Amino acid sequence: MEAIAGAGIGAGLVAIGAAMGIGRLAAAAVESIARQPEAAGDIRANMILTAAFIEGVALFGEVICLLAVLK
Amino acid sequence: MMSMPCNNPFLRKFFLSWVFVFATAMSLMGSTPPQPGHGDSLQTHGAHGVESKQIPEEEQPSKYIIHHLMDSHDWHITDFGETSVALHLPWIIYNSEQGFQFFSSTHALEEDPNYMVSHDNVYYIQGEVTVDPHEAEAHPERYIVDHKDHKVYAKAQNVTIIDFSLTKTGLQILIVGLVMVLIFTQIARTYKKRDGLAPKGMQSFFEPVILFVREDVARPNLHGQHDRFMPYLLTLFFFIWFSNLFGLTPLSSNITGNTTITAMLALMTFVMIVINAKKEFWMHILWFPGVPIWMKPLMFIVELMGFITKPAALAIRLFANISAGHFMVMSLISLIFILGDYGRSPWGAIGIMPLSIAFSIFIFVVEVLVALVQAFVFTLLTAVFIGQAIESHDHGHDEAHAHH
Repeated sequence: MEAIAGAGIGAGLVAIGAAMGIGRLAAAAVESIARQPEAAGDIRANMILTAAFIEGVALFGEVICLLAVLK
Repeated sequence: MMSMPCNNPFLRKFFLSWVFVFATAMSLMGSTPPQPGHGDSLQTHGAHGVESKQIPEEEQPSKYIIHHLMDSHDWHITDFGETSVALHLPWIIYNSEQGFQFFSSTHALEEDPNYMVSHDNVYYIQGEVTVDPHEAEAHPERYIVDHKDHKVYAKAQNVTIIDFSLTKTGLQILIVGLVMVLIFTQIARTYKKRDGLAPKGMQSFFEPVILFVREDVARPNLHGQHDRFMPYLLTLFFFIWFSNLFGLTPLSSNITGNTTITAMLALMTFVMIVINAKKEFWMHILWFPGVPIWMKPLMFIVELMGFITKPAALAIRLFANISAGHFMVMSLISLIFILGDYGRSPWGAIGIMPLSIAFSIFIFVVEVLVALVQAFVFTLLTAVFIGQAIESHDHGHDEAHAHH
């Protein structure tokens, strides 16, 4: 029972971390597109790439939470 | 079908919020508390003394989801009422006493008295014993319990069996490989036939992608030797992309959501790094230049851990992204069943259905994007790691040496 509670709280924290990270990334990306609209394509490509890295870290945490529940 | 009062933005918001409230209210009203002793379906094992719902085991969401994500020896296609349509895959078992043995399906394997199949694993048994099941579960290396017949079998001790079967995942890898071979040989033939002409058809779709991998992934990271590594990077990219996309289609199996497959891909990258690494790379791991000598053992441990975890992170990132997407979609669909109380409150199910299906479609669209992005990230990081391994002395170390 404690494992399920821990996994639930952990998954919530992981989501908070990922949202904070990607939120800051999106804010910086949108601001730099506003400053220089010609670079929008480059910035968008880099934004998607770095969002994938941040999401990767968040999903490492998710995998550990799932392991806590399923074992 | 009701038509939405389109041109008034206030009325549109009002209408949509009413749909939302209605759906939530229906689903909350619909879910009834579990009725103990009601109904005649199988009793599930009550966990920690909580009253358990009377749900047949294969409909429980967690078991259904895990069964969908995991490998299997039968490719289950659909159910027509009671009969299930499935493609039964053969079992190929290496027995240390008797060599290779072949069984045409799980059914054939269950007929053989020497083998027992439990949860898609096969065990070589000596015979049935009369041992208390709880006692048997305390010694899993000697006994195996069959939960369906409540029998306990003794495992054969000095015989090891290795399962080499072609499972659903294995067959799916072959299908993806076949598709890739067909597509790319066709493209190669088209290039030869249309030498000097503008690209047409499949060639015109894949050419920008291949050029993107060469110009933006391989060339910046591989310091001039990108032609050597392009075949590996292209294979990796398209294999992961196509496997992710195949995992999203209805009848296919999900291969990149399996840790074995992603671990093998990361192992290939690891092998590529190790084969191509120059002496300078090994020096950086074993005897880091430019730090005081008492720090070198510490740097060795840190660098070694980094060396191992970088490909491992590749494997886990791909596995977690793909299986998380599948998990979310299946959880949202299972929500319909949970709130409809497995058939006992249809209004609960109908209430949550629009929301659940809308979110599932949204996540499906995101998953299609994630399929491409994860393939790109895996390939990019592979190129970066190989680039770090083959980096020669002239680049990038002049600053470190200039400080001394």
